[in-house]
Amino acid sequence: MSIVLALPKGRILKDAGPLLARAGIFPEADYADESSRRMRFPTNHPGLDVIRVRSFDVATFVAFGAAQIGICGSDVLMEFDYPEVYAPLDLGIGQCRISVAEPKDDAGQTDFTRASRIRVASKYPNMAKKHFAAKGIQAEIVPLNGAMELAPGLGLSRLIVDLVQTGSTLKANGLVETDVIAQVSSRLIVNRIALKTRPDEIGAWIEAFRKALTP
Amino acid sequence: MNDTPLSHPALLPAGLRDILPPEAELEARSIEAIMDCFAAHGYERVKPPLLEFEDSLFAGSGAATAEQTFRLMDPDSQRMMGLRADTTPQIARLAATRLSAAPRPLRLAYAGQCLRVRGSDLEPERQIAQAGIELIGEDSATADAEIILTAIEALEAVGLTQLSVDLTVPRLVPDLIDSQLGGASPALTRALDRKDSAAVAAHGGVAAALLGQLLDASGQADRAIPALLGLALPAPAKALVARLAETVAVLRAARPGLQLTVDPVEFRGYQYHTGICMTLFAAGAQAELGRGGRYLGGEAEPATGITLYPDTIIRLAPRPKLRPRLYLPLGTAATAAAAARAQGFATINGLTPLPDPRAEAARLGCSHIFSDGQIVPLA
Repeated sequence: MSIVLALPKGRILKDAGPLLARAGIFPEADYADESSRRMRFPTNHPGLDVIRVRSFDVATFVAFGAAQIGICGSDVLMEFDYPEVYAPLDLGIGQCRISVAEPKDDAGQTDFTRASRIRVASKYPNMAKKHFAAKGIQAEIVPLNGAMELAPGLGLSRLIVDLVQTGSTLKANGLVETDVIAQVSSRLIVNRIALKTRPDEIGAWIEAFRKALTP
Repeated sequence: MNDTPLSHPALLPAGLRDILPPEAELEARSIEAIMDCFAAHGYERVKPPLLEFEDSLFAGSGAATAEQTFRLMDPDSQRMMGLRADTTPQIARLAATRLSAAPRPLRLAYAGQCLRVRGSDLEPERQIAQAGIELIGEDSATADAEIILTAIEALEAVGLTQLSVDLTVPRLVPDLIDSQLGGASPALTRALDRKDSAAVAAHGGVAAALLGQLLDASGQADRAIPALLGLALPAPAKALVARLAETVAVLRAARPGLQLTVDPVEFRGYQYHTGICMTLFAAGAQAELGRGGRYLGGEAEPATGITLYPDTIIRLAPRPKLRPRLYLPLGTAATAAAAARAQGFATINGLTPLPDPRAEAARLGCSHIFSDGQIVPLA
Protein backbone atom coordinates (compact mmCIF):
# COMPACT_ATOMS: atom_id res chain seq x y z
CA MET A 1 0.00 0.00 0.00
CA SER A 2 1.50 3.32 -1.03
CA ILE A 3 2.02 6.33 1.18
CA VAL A 4 0.53 9.67 0.17
CA LEU A 5 2.30 12.92 1.09
CA ALA A 6 0.00 15.96 0.96
CA LEU A 7 1.58 19.29 0.04
CA PRO A 8 -0.07 22.70 0.24
CA LYS A 9 -0.42 24.92 -2.82
CA GLY A 10 1.05 28.36 -2.65
CA ARG A 11 3.84 29.91 -0.66
CA ILE A 12 4.83 26.83 1.37
CA LEU A 13 5.18 24.67 -1.73
CA LYS A 14 8.14 26.74 -3.00
CA ASP A 15 9.96 26.56 0.34
CA ALA A 16 9.27 22.84 0.62
CA GLY A 17 11.08 21.98 -2.65
CA PRO A 18 14.65 22.06 -1.31
CA LEU A 19 13.54 20.25 1.85
CA LEU A 20 11.95 17.45 -0.16
CA ALA A 21 15.14 17.16 -2.19
CA ARG A 22 17.27 16.90 0.97
CA ALA A 23 14.87 14.21 2.24
CA GLY A 24 15.48 12.33 -1.01
CA ILE A 25 11.99 12.92 -2.41
CA PHE A 26 11.79 13.94 -6.07
CA PRO A 27 8.20 14.19 -7.31
CA GLU A 28 7.50 14.42 -11.03
CA ALA A 29 8.57 17.87 -12.14
CA ASP A 30 5.18 19.48 -12.76
CA TYR A 31 4.19 19.07 -9.10
CA ALA A 32 5.53 22.54 -8.42
CA ASP A 33 3.81 24.00 -11.48
CA GLU A 34 0.64 25.51 -10.09
CA SER A 35 -0.84 25.78 -13.56
CA SER A 36 -0.66 22.01 -13.98
CA ARG A 37 -4.08 20.45 -13.62
CA ARG A 38 -2.74 17.24 -12.17
CA MET A 39 -3.23 16.77 -8.44
CA ARG A 40 -1.42 13.50 -7.76
CA PHE A 41 2.21 12.94 -8.71
CA PRO A 42 4.43 9.88 -8.47
CA THR A 43 7.89 10.31 -6.94
CA ASN A 44 11.25 8.58 -7.32
CA HIS A 45 10.02 6.22 -4.55
CA PRO A 46 7.55 3.69 -5.97
CA GLY A 47 5.69 3.56 -2.65
CA LEU A 48 5.32 7.33 -2.24
CA ASP A 49 2.96 9.68 -4.10
CA VAL A 50 2.57 13.39 -3.64
CA ILE A 51 -0.75 15.22 -3.79
CA ARG A 52 -1.15 18.97 -4.06
CA VAL A 53 -4.17 20.47 -2.29
CA ARG A 54 -5.19 23.74 -0.64
CA SER A 55 -3.27 24.45 2.52
CA PHE A 56 -6.33 24.07 4.77
CA ASP A 57 -7.15 20.76 3.11
CA VAL A 58 -3.76 19.19 3.88
CA ALA A 59 -4.82 18.78 7.51
CA THR A 60 -8.17 17.32 6.48
CA PHE A 61 -6.64 14.78 4.08
CA VAL A 62 -4.22 13.66 6.79
CA ALA A 63 -6.80 13.67 9.62
CA PHE A 64 -9.08 11.33 7.70
CA GLY A 65 -6.21 9.11 6.59
CA ALA A 66 -6.58 9.89 2.87
CA ALA A 67 -2.95 11.03 3.06
CA GLN A 68 -0.62 9.56 5.65
CA ILE A 69 1.88 12.44 5.76
CA GLY A 70 1.60 16.12 4.99
CA ILE A 71 3.25 19.49 5.22
CA CYS A 72 1.07 22.18 6.62
CA GLY A 73 1.26 25.49 8.45
CA SER A 74 0.77 25.44 12.21
CA ASP A 75 -1.98 28.05 11.63
CA VAL A 76 -4.09 25.34 9.98
CA LEU A 77 -3.39 22.88 12.82
CA MET A 78 -4.37 25.45 15.42
CA GLU A 79 -7.54 26.35 13.56
CA PHE A 80 -8.76 22.78 12.99
CA ASP A 81 -7.28 21.03 16.01
CA TYR A 82 -7.79 17.55 14.57
CA PRO A 83 -6.98 14.97 17.25
CA GLU A 84 -6.04 12.45 14.55
CA VAL A 85 -3.10 14.56 13.40
CA TYR A 86 0.36 14.33 14.91
CA ALA A 87 2.82 17.11 14.19
CA PRO A 88 6.21 15.60 15.01
CA LEU A 89 8.51 18.09 13.23
CA ASP A 90 8.78 21.84 12.92
CA LEU A 91 10.18 22.25 9.41
CA GLY A 92 11.12 25.88 9.96
CA ILE A 93 9.75 26.96 6.56
CA GLY A 94 6.79 29.19 5.74
CA GLN A 95 7.42 31.33 8.78
CA CYS A 96 4.92 34.05 9.55
CA ARG A 97 2.46 34.95 12.28
CA ILE A 98 -1.25 35.20 12.92
CA SER A 99 -2.06 38.69 14.01
CA VAL A 100 -4.84 41.09 14.77
CA ALA A 101 -4.81 44.19 12.59
CA GLU A 102 -6.96 47.29 12.41
CA PRO A 103 -7.06 50.55 10.46
CA LYS A 104 -4.08 52.77 11.24
CA ASP A 105 -6.29 55.68 12.22
CA ASP A 106 -8.34 53.61 14.70
CA ALA A 107 -5.42 51.88 16.39
CA GLY A 108 -5.31 52.64 20.08
CA GLN A 109 -8.60 54.55 19.92
CA THR A 110 -10.79 51.80 21.35
CA ASP A 111 -10.68 50.53 24.91
CA PHE A 112 -11.26 46.85 24.21
CA THR A 113 -11.68 46.03 27.89
CA ARG A 114 -15.06 47.80 27.70
CA ALA A 115 -16.27 45.86 24.63
CA SER A 116 -18.65 42.88 24.88
CA ARG A 117 -18.56 42.05 21.22
CA ILE A 118 -16.44 42.87 18.26
CA ARG A 119 -16.77 42.10 14.57
CA VAL A 120 -13.74 40.38 13.10
CA ALA A 121 -13.09 39.34 9.49
CA SER A 122 -11.01 36.18 9.30
CA LYS A 123 -10.49 32.80 7.74
CA TYR A 124 -9.52 31.56 11.20
CA PRO A 125 -12.89 31.72 13.02
CA ASN A 126 -11.91 29.32 15.80
CA MET A 127 -8.61 30.98 16.59
CA ALA A 128 -10.08 34.45 16.41
CA LYS A 129 -12.97 33.52 18.71
CA LYS A 130 -10.62 31.88 21.19
CA HIS A 131 -8.26 34.82 21.20
CA PHE A 132 -10.98 37.33 21.98
CA ALA A 133 -12.84 35.02 24.37
CA ALA A 134 -9.69 34.92 26.49
CA LYS A 135 -10.07 38.70 26.80
CA GLY A 136 -13.75 38.38 27.68
CA ILE A 137 -14.96 39.55 24.26
CA GLN A 138 -17.30 37.69 21.90
CA ALA A 139 -15.87 37.82 18.42
CA GLU A 140 -18.51 37.92 15.69
CA ILE A 141 -16.75 36.38 12.75
CA VAL A 142 -17.23 37.57 9.19
CA PRO A 143 -15.93 34.58 7.26
CA LEU A 144 -13.67 35.58 4.36
CA ASN A 145 -11.18 33.53 2.39
CA GLY A 146 -9.09 36.36 1.02
CA ALA A 147 -8.79 40.12 0.67
CA MET A 148 -9.30 40.38 4.41
CA GLU A 149 -7.49 43.71 4.37
CA LEU A 150 -10.44 45.32 2.61
CA ALA A 151 -12.91 44.45 5.34
CA PRO A 152 -12.36 47.23 7.90
CA GLY A 153 -12.19 49.99 5.28
CA LEU A 154 -15.47 48.91 3.72
CA GLY A 155 -17.24 48.61 7.04
CA LEU A 156 -17.40 44.82 7.03
CA SER A 157 -15.59 44.47 10.33
CA ARG A 158 -13.75 46.46 12.96
CA LEU A 159 -10.66 44.21 12.94
CA ILE A 160 -9.10 41.42 10.97
CA VAL A 161 -7.25 38.32 12.08
CA ASP A 162 -4.93 37.07 9.38
CA LEU A 163 -1.51 35.72 8.46
CA VAL A 164 1.19 38.35 8.39
CA GLN A 165 4.51 37.64 6.74
CA THR A 166 6.21 40.98 6.05
CA GLY A 167 3.35 43.30 6.89
CA SER A 168 3.50 45.03 3.52
CA THR A 169 -0.05 44.03 2.50
CA LEU A 170 -1.37 45.46 5.75
CA LYS A 171 0.58 48.66 5.23
CA ALA A 172 -0.58 49.03 1.63
CA ASN A 173 -4.16 48.86 2.85
CA GLY A 174 -3.80 51.28 5.72
CA LEU A 175 -3.80 48.68 8.48
CA VAL A 176 -1.47 48.15 11.42
CA GLU A 177 -0.72 45.00 13.35
CA THR A 178 -1.88 45.42 16.95
CA ASP A 179 -1.53 41.98 18.49
CA VAL A 180 0.25 38.74 17.61
CA ILE A 181 -1.87 35.65 18.31
CA ALA A 182 0.70 33.02 17.37
CA GLN A 183 3.92 32.46 15.49
CA VAL A 184 3.45 30.15 12.53
CA SER A 185 5.76 27.75 10.75
CA SER A 186 5.20 24.67 8.64
CA ARG A 187 5.03 21.28 10.28
CA LEU A 188 5.44 17.75 9.10
CA ILE A 189 2.18 16.09 10.04
CA VAL A 190 1.25 12.41 10.12
CA ASN A 191 -1.96 10.51 10.59
CA ARG A 192 -2.17 8.97 14.05
CA ILE A 193 -3.42 5.55 13.04
CA ALA A 194 -0.99 5.32 10.11
CA LEU A 195 1.90 6.00 12.49
CA LYS A 196 0.65 3.32 14.86
CA THR A 197 -0.07 0.64 12.29
CA ARG A 198 2.86 1.34 9.93
CA PRO A 199 5.48 2.59 12.37
CA ASP A 200 8.49 1.52 10.31
CA GLU A 201 7.50 3.17 7.01
CA ILE A 202 6.08 6.36 8.50
CA GLY A 203 8.88 6.53 11.06
CA ALA A 204 11.44 6.29 8.25
CA TRP A 205 9.89 9.30 6.47
CA ILE A 206 9.82 11.33 9.68
CA GLU A 207 13.48 10.44 10.14
CA ALA A 208 14.26 11.45 6.54
CA PHE A 209 12.72 14.88 7.13
CA ARG A 210 14.46 15.22 10.49
CA LYS A 211 17.81 14.60 8.80
CA ALA A 212 16.89 17.02 6.01
CA LEU A 213 16.50 19.75 8.63
CA THR A 214 20.08 19.46 9.85
CA PRO A 215 22.27 19.49 6.76
CA MET B 1 -34.98 24.51 -2.80
CA ASN B 2 -37.04 22.66 -0.27
CA ASP B 3 -38.37 25.08 2.30
CA THR B 4 -38.53 22.57 5.15
CA PRO B 5 -35.59 20.25 4.60
CA LEU B 6 -35.41 19.33 8.28
CA SER B 7 -38.88 17.80 8.43
CA HIS B 8 -38.23 14.81 6.17
CA PRO B 9 -39.61 11.67 7.87
CA ALA B 10 -36.40 9.72 7.18
CA LEU B 11 -34.15 12.32 8.81
CA LEU B 12 -32.69 11.12 12.09
CA PRO B 13 -30.89 13.16 14.73
CA ALA B 14 -27.18 13.66 14.00
CA GLY B 15 -25.03 10.61 14.60
CA LEU B 16 -27.90 8.10 14.66
CA ARG B 17 -28.82 5.65 11.92
CA ASP B 18 -31.11 2.81 10.93
CA ILE B 19 -29.30 -0.44 10.30
CA LEU B 20 -30.97 -2.32 7.43
CA PRO B 21 -30.75 -5.84 6.04
CA PRO B 22 -28.34 -7.46 5.73
CA GLU B 23 -26.17 -5.26 8.01
CA ALA B 24 -28.39 -5.72 11.05
CA GLU B 25 -28.06 -9.48 10.84
CA LEU B 26 -24.33 -9.25 10.14
CA GLU B 27 -23.99 -7.09 13.24
CA ALA B 28 -25.90 -9.54 15.44
CA ARG B 29 -23.86 -12.46 14.14
CA SER B 30 -20.53 -10.73 14.61
CA ILE B 31 -21.42 -9.76 18.16
CA GLU B 32 -22.45 -13.36 18.89
CA ALA B 33 -19.18 -14.70 17.41
CA ILE B 34 -17.22 -12.28 19.58
CA MET B 35 -19.24 -13.12 22.69
CA ASP B 36 -18.86 -16.82 21.98
CA CYS B 37 -15.09 -16.42 21.94
CA PHE B 38 -15.20 -14.49 25.23
CA ALA B 39 -17.37 -17.23 26.78
CA ALA B 40 -14.97 -19.90 25.57
CA HIS B 41 -12.24 -18.10 27.53
CA GLY B 42 -14.29 -18.28 30.71
CA TYR B 43 -15.76 -14.76 30.63
CA GLU B 44 -19.33 -14.90 31.93
CA ARG B 45 -21.91 -12.64 30.41
CA VAL B 46 -23.66 -9.92 32.40
CA LYS B 47 -26.24 -7.39 31.31
CA PRO B 48 -26.46 -4.11 33.20
CA PRO B 49 -29.39 -1.80 32.39
CA LEU B 50 -29.25 0.97 29.79
CA LEU B 51 -30.05 3.62 32.38
CA GLU B 52 -29.01 4.10 35.95
CA PHE B 53 -28.80 6.86 38.53
CA GLU B 54 -26.08 9.26 37.57
CA ASP B 55 -24.35 9.13 40.94
CA SER B 56 -23.67 5.42 40.49
CA LEU B 57 -22.93 5.76 36.77
CA PHE B 58 -20.34 8.48 37.38
CA ALA B 59 -18.74 6.98 40.48
CA GLY B 60 -15.05 6.10 40.25
CA SER B 61 -13.98 5.28 36.70
CA GLY B 62 -17.34 6.52 35.39
CA ALA B 63 -16.54 10.17 36.17
CA ALA B 64 -14.74 10.51 32.85
CA THR B 65 -17.90 9.70 30.90
CA ALA B 66 -20.04 12.42 32.54
CA GLU B 67 -19.70 14.98 29.75
CA GLN B 68 -20.59 12.38 27.10
CA THR B 69 -23.70 11.11 28.89
CA PHE B 70 -27.31 11.81 27.95
CA ARG B 71 -29.29 12.46 31.10
CA LEU B 72 -32.96 12.29 31.89
CA MET B 73 -35.06 12.76 34.97
CA ASP B 74 -36.70 9.70 36.51
CA PRO B 75 -40.29 10.94 37.05
CA ASP B 76 -40.74 8.20 39.61
CA SER B 77 -37.84 8.77 41.99
CA GLN B 78 -37.27 12.42 40.91
CA ARG B 79 -33.57 11.62 40.55
CA MET B 80 -31.31 12.19 37.54
CA MET B 81 -30.48 9.15 35.48
CA GLY B 82 -27.81 8.72 32.83
CA LEU B 83 -27.86 6.64 29.65
CA ARG B 84 -24.57 4.78 29.64
CA ALA B 85 -21.88 6.19 27.36
CA ASP B 86 -19.54 3.31 28.24
CA THR B 87 -20.20 -0.08 29.80
CA THR B 88 -16.99 -0.56 31.81
CA PRO B 89 -18.06 1.65 34.76
CA GLN B 90 -21.25 -0.40 35.08
CA ILE B 91 -19.26 -3.64 35.18
CA ALA B 92 -16.97 -2.11 37.81
CA ARG B 93 -20.06 -1.24 39.87
CA LEU B 94 -21.40 -4.79 39.53
CA ALA B 95 -18.07 -6.27 40.60
CA ALA B 96 -17.89 -4.00 43.64
CA THR B 97 -21.49 -4.55 44.78
CA ARG B 98 -23.63 -7.51 43.73
CA LEU B 99 -20.61 -9.61 42.76
CA SER B 100 -18.31 -8.48 45.58
CA ALA B 101 -18.32 -11.97 47.10
CA ALA B 102 -17.74 -13.77 43.78
CA PRO B 103 -14.31 -15.42 43.66
CA ARG B 104 -11.44 -13.47 42.12
CA PRO B 105 -10.14 -13.19 39.51
CA LEU B 106 -13.61 -12.42 38.19
CA ARG B 107 -14.08 -12.67 34.43
CA LEU B 108 -17.11 -10.86 33.00
CA ALA B 109 -18.28 -10.17 29.45
CA TYR B 110 -20.92 -7.82 28.06
CA ALA B 111 -22.42 -6.65 24.79
CA GLY B 112 -24.77 -3.72 24.34
CA GLN B 113 -25.42 -0.29 22.94
CA CYS B 114 -24.10 2.95 24.34
CA LEU B 115 -25.05 6.54 23.59
CA ARG B 116 -22.74 9.49 23.65
CA VAL B 117 -23.50 13.15 23.38
CA ARG B 118 -20.90 13.88 20.71
CA GLY B 119 -19.12 11.85 18.06
CA SER B 120 -15.75 12.78 16.60
CA ASP B 121 -14.75 13.94 13.11
CA LEU B 122 -13.75 10.42 12.21
CA GLU B 123 -16.55 8.60 14.01
CA PRO B 124 -19.62 10.81 14.10
CA GLU B 125 -21.87 8.01 15.41
CA ARG B 126 -23.57 8.78 18.70
CA GLN B 127 -24.95 5.31 19.25
CA ILE B 128 -22.19 2.73 19.39
CA ALA B 129 -22.20 -0.99 20.03
CA GLN B 130 -19.74 -2.34 22.56
CA ALA B 131 -18.66 -5.91 23.25
CA GLY B 132 -16.09 -6.35 25.94
CA ILE B 133 -14.51 -8.23 28.79
CA GLU B 134 -13.29 -7.27 32.24
CA LEU B 135 -10.78 -9.21 34.33
CA ILE B 136 -11.20 -8.07 37.91
CA GLY B 137 -9.14 -8.67 41.04
CA GLU B 138 -5.77 -9.41 39.48
CA ASP B 139 -2.83 -7.08 38.91
CA SER B 140 -0.26 -8.82 36.74
CA ALA B 141 1.27 -8.78 33.28
CA THR B 142 -0.35 -12.14 32.56
CA ALA B 143 -3.77 -10.56 33.20
CA ASP B 144 -2.88 -7.55 31.02
CA ALA B 145 -1.83 -9.93 28.25
CA GLU B 146 -4.83 -12.24 28.67
CA ILE B 147 -7.42 -9.63 27.76
CA ILE B 148 -5.41 -8.58 24.70
CA LEU B 149 -4.96 -12.15 23.51
CA THR B 150 -8.64 -12.91 24.09
CA ALA B 151 -9.70 -9.81 22.15
CA ILE B 152 -7.35 -10.68 19.28
CA GLU B 153 -8.85 -14.15 19.13
CA ALA B 154 -12.37 -12.68 19.07
CA LEU B 155 -11.40 -10.40 16.18
CA GLU B 156 -9.94 -13.37 14.32
CA ALA B 157 -13.17 -15.26 14.97
CA VAL B 158 -15.01 -12.69 12.83
CA GLY B 159 -12.38 -13.01 10.10
CA LEU B 160 -10.11 -10.04 10.75
CA THR B 161 -6.41 -10.57 10.13
CA GLN B 162 -3.24 -8.44 10.19
CA LEU B 163 -4.12 -7.01 13.55
CA SER B 164 -1.96 -4.54 15.33
CA VAL B 165 -1.84 -3.70 19.04
CA ASP B 166 -0.63 -0.36 20.32
CA LEU B 167 0.39 -0.44 23.97
CA THR B 168 0.70 2.54 26.21
CA VAL B 169 0.99 3.55 29.84
CA PRO B 170 -1.09 6.72 30.08
CA ARG B 171 0.01 7.53 33.66
CA LEU B 172 3.68 7.55 32.70
CA VAL B 173 3.96 11.03 31.23
CA PRO B 174 1.56 12.87 33.59
CA ASP B 175 3.32 11.33 36.62
CA LEU B 176 6.68 12.28 35.23
CA ILE B 177 5.55 15.83 34.60
CA ASP B 178 3.99 16.13 38.04
CA SER B 179 7.15 14.96 39.77
CA GLN B 180 9.57 17.02 37.67
CA LEU B 181 7.58 20.12 36.81
CA GLY B 182 4.81 20.09 39.40
CA GLY B 183 2.12 19.89 36.72
CA ALA B 184 1.81 20.31 32.98
CA SER B 185 0.98 23.52 31.18
CA PRO B 186 -1.76 23.22 28.55
CA ALA B 187 0.87 23.99 25.91
CA LEU B 188 3.01 21.05 27.01
CA THR B 189 0.07 18.65 27.20
CA ARG B 190 -0.95 19.67 23.69
CA ALA B 191 2.57 19.32 22.38
CA LEU B 192 2.89 15.82 23.84
CA ASP B 193 -0.51 14.82 22.54
CA ARG B 194 0.43 15.92 19.02
CA LYS B 195 3.93 14.43 19.20
CA ASP B 196 5.29 17.87 18.39
CA SER B 197 8.91 17.42 19.39
CA ALA B 198 9.81 21.09 18.83
CA ALA B 199 7.04 22.30 21.14
CA VAL B 200 7.86 19.64 23.75
CA ALA B 201 11.43 20.89 23.76
CA ALA B 202 10.18 24.48 24.10
CA HIS B 203 7.64 23.88 26.87
CA GLY B 204 9.17 20.86 28.64
CA GLY B 205 11.44 22.78 31.04
CA VAL B 206 13.71 20.48 33.05
CA ALA B 207 11.78 17.44 31.77
CA ALA B 208 12.25 18.37 28.10
CA ALA B 209 15.17 16.01 27.42
CA LEU B 210 13.50 13.01 29.04
CA LEU B 211 10.17 13.70 27.33
CA GLY B 212 12.00 13.97 24.01
CA GLN B 213 13.60 10.58 24.63
CA LEU B 214 10.17 9.11 25.43
CA LEU B 215 8.81 10.51 22.15
CA ASP B 216 11.68 8.88 20.29
CA ALA B 217 11.14 5.56 22.09
CA SER B 218 7.88 4.76 20.32
CA GLY B 219 7.22 2.40 17.46
CA GLN B 220 7.72 -1.34 17.09
CA ALA B 221 7.76 -2.92 20.56
CA ASP B 222 10.92 -4.88 19.89
CA ARG B 223 12.82 -1.62 19.47
CA ALA B 224 10.83 0.59 21.84
CA ILE B 225 11.04 -1.64 24.92
CA PRO B 226 14.86 -1.78 25.09
CA ALA B 227 14.96 1.99 24.49
CA LEU B 228 12.49 2.61 27.32
CA LEU B 229 14.29 0.28 29.70
CA GLY B 230 17.49 2.23 29.01
CA LEU B 231 16.04 5.62 30.05
CA ALA B 232 16.90 7.21 33.39
CA LEU B 233 13.33 7.34 34.73
CA PRO B 234 12.22 7.94 38.32
CA ALA B 235 11.21 4.81 40.28
CA PRO B 236 7.39 4.82 39.73
CA ALA B 237 7.85 5.36 35.99
CA LYS B 238 10.49 2.63 35.90
CA ALA B 239 8.00 0.21 37.46
CA LEU B 240 5.39 1.05 34.80
CA VAL B 241 7.93 0.48 32.04
CA ALA B 242 9.00 -2.82 33.61
CA ARG B 243 5.36 -3.98 33.60
CA LEU B 244 5.06 -2.92 29.97
CA ALA B 245 8.16 -4.94 29.09
CA GLU B 246 6.79 -7.94 30.95
CA THR B 247 3.43 -7.69 29.16
CA VAL B 248 5.16 -7.46 25.79
CA ALA B 249 7.20 -10.56 26.66
CA VAL B 250 4.03 -12.54 27.51
CA LEU B 251 2.35 -11.38 24.28
CA ARG B 252 5.43 -12.17 22.18
CA ALA B 253 5.66 -15.68 23.61
CA ALA B 254 1.97 -16.34 22.88
CA ARG B 255 1.76 -14.58 19.49
CA PRO B 256 5.17 -14.20 17.85
CA GLY B 257 3.68 -12.80 14.62
CA LEU B 258 1.41 -10.14 16.12
CA GLN B 259 2.35 -6.54 15.31
CA LEU B 260 3.02 -4.83 18.63
CA THR B 261 3.76 -1.15 18.89
CA VAL B 262 4.47 0.94 21.95
CA ASP B 263 3.62 4.59 22.41
CA PRO B 264 4.79 5.72 25.84
CA VAL B 265 3.47 9.25 25.28
CA GLU B 266 -0.14 8.34 24.45
CA PHE B 267 -2.74 9.37 27.00
CA ARG B 268 -5.62 10.50 24.83
CA GLY B 269 -8.93 8.92 25.75
CA TYR B 270 -7.50 7.11 28.77
CA GLN B 271 -8.98 9.22 31.53
CA TYR B 272 -9.28 6.76 34.38
CA HIS B 273 -6.62 4.21 33.51
CA THR B 274 -3.77 3.38 35.85
CA GLY B 275 -1.63 0.77 34.10
CA ILE B 276 -1.05 -0.89 30.74
CA CYS B 277 -3.56 0.25 28.10
CA MET B 278 -4.07 -0.87 24.56
CA THR B 279 -5.70 0.08 21.27
CA LEU B 280 -6.39 -2.49 18.55
CA PHE B 281 -6.06 -1.70 14.85
CA ALA B 282 -6.25 -3.61 11.57
CA ALA B 283 -3.56 -2.91 8.97
CA GLY B 284 -4.69 -0.34 6.44
CA ALA B 285 -7.93 0.58 8.20
CA GLN B 286 -8.47 4.10 9.44
CA ALA B 287 -10.27 3.04 12.62
CA GLU B 288 -9.87 1.62 16.10
CA LEU B 289 -11.29 -1.87 16.56
CA GLY B 290 -11.17 -1.69 20.31
CA ARG B 291 -9.41 -0.23 23.28
CA GLY B 292 -9.04 -0.79 26.97
CA GLY B 293 -6.66 -0.98 29.87
CA ARG B 294 -6.01 -1.26 33.53
CA TYR B 295 -8.00 0.75 36.06
CA LEU B 296 -9.01 0.67 39.72
CA GLY B 297 -12.48 -0.63 40.45
CA GLY B 298 -14.55 -0.13 43.60
CA GLU B 299 -12.52 -0.26 46.86
CA ALA B 300 -9.44 0.31 44.66
CA GLU B 301 -9.63 -3.25 43.36
CA PRO B 302 -7.23 -3.87 40.47
CA ALA B 303 -8.99 -4.56 37.19
CA THR B 304 -8.38 -4.52 33.49
CA GLY B 305 -10.67 -4.76 30.49
CA ILE B 306 -11.04 -4.24 26.79
CA THR B 307 -13.95 -3.06 24.67
CA LEU B 308 -14.41 -3.99 21.03
CA TYR B 309 -16.42 -1.82 18.65
CA PRO B 310 -18.65 -4.10 16.54
CA ASP B 311 -19.80 -1.21 14.27
CA THR B 312 -16.23 -0.75 13.07
CA ILE B 313 -15.44 -4.45 13.07
CA ILE B 314 -18.37 -5.26 10.78
CA ARG B 315 -17.22 -2.63 8.31
CA LEU B 316 -13.78 -4.22 8.05
CA ALA B 317 -14.44 -7.93 8.49
CA PRO B 318 -15.17 -10.20 5.53
CA ARG B 319 -18.92 -10.72 5.19
CA PRO B 320 -20.11 -14.02 6.55
CA LYS B 321 -22.40 -15.95 4.21
CA LEU B 322 -26.01 -15.36 5.09
CA ARG B 323 -28.78 -17.94 4.50
CA PRO B 324 -29.74 -18.37 0.82
CA ARG B 325 -33.36 -17.32 0.34
CA LEU B 326 -35.79 -19.94 -0.98
CA TYR B 327 -39.22 -19.01 -2.35
CA LEU B 328 -42.00 -21.47 -1.45
CA PRO B 329 -45.02 -21.11 -3.76
CA LEU B 330 -48.34 -21.23 -1.94
CA GLY B 331 -49.23 -24.83 -1.10
CA THR B 332 -45.66 -26.12 -0.55
CA ALA B 333 -45.77 -28.92 2.03
CA ALA B 334 -44.84 -27.83 5.56
CA THR B 335 -42.44 -30.77 5.88
CA ALA B 336 -40.56 -29.72 2.74
CA ALA B 337 -40.31 -26.19 4.10
CA ALA B 338 -38.96 -27.44 7.42
CA ALA B 339 -36.44 -29.65 5.63
CA ALA B 340 -35.22 -26.66 3.58
CA ARG B 341 -34.77 -24.56 6.72
CA ALA B 342 -32.87 -27.44 8.31
CA GLN B 343 -30.53 -27.34 5.29
CA GLY B 344 -29.83 -23.71 6.01
CA PHE B 345 -32.25 -21.93 3.71
CA ALA B 346 -34.35 -18.96 4.70
CA THR B 347 -37.83 -19.82 3.40
CA ILE B 348 -40.08 -17.14 1.95
CA ASN B 349 -43.71 -18.26 1.87
CA GLY B 350 -45.86 -17.34 -1.09
CA LEU B 351 -49.05 -15.97 0.40
CA THR B 352 -51.24 -15.93 -2.72
CA PRO B 353 -51.41 -18.21 -5.77
CA LEU B 354 -49.45 -16.62 -8.64
CA PRO B 355 -49.19 -17.52 -12.33
CA ASP B 356 -45.40 -16.97 -12.42
CA PRO B 357 -43.84 -17.94 -9.08
CA ARG B 358 -40.31 -17.68 -10.53
CA ALA B 359 -40.81 -14.00 -11.28
CA GLU B 360 -42.14 -13.49 -7.77
CA ALA B 361 -39.13 -15.28 -6.28
CA ALA B 362 -36.77 -13.04 -8.25
CA ARG B 363 -38.73 -9.93 -7.25
CA LEU B 364 -38.33 -10.82 -3.57
CA GLY B 365 -34.58 -11.32 -3.89
CA CYS B 366 -34.63 -15.11 -3.57
CA SER B 367 -31.78 -17.19 -4.92
CA HIS B 368 -33.77 -20.44 -5.05
CA ILE B 369 -37.32 -21.61 -5.65
CA PHE B 370 -39.16 -24.75 -4.57
CA SER B 371 -40.50 -26.30 -7.75
CA ASP B 372 -41.75 -29.83 -8.55
CA GLY B 373 -40.70 -31.08 -5.13
CA GLN B 374 -37.15 -29.78 -5.50
CA ILE B 375 -35.01 -26.80 -4.52
CA VAL B 376 -33.98 -25.17 -7.79
CA PRO B 377 -31.55 -22.25 -8.13
CA LEU B 378 -32.97 -19.24 -9.95
CA ALA B 379 -30.48 -18.95 -12.77
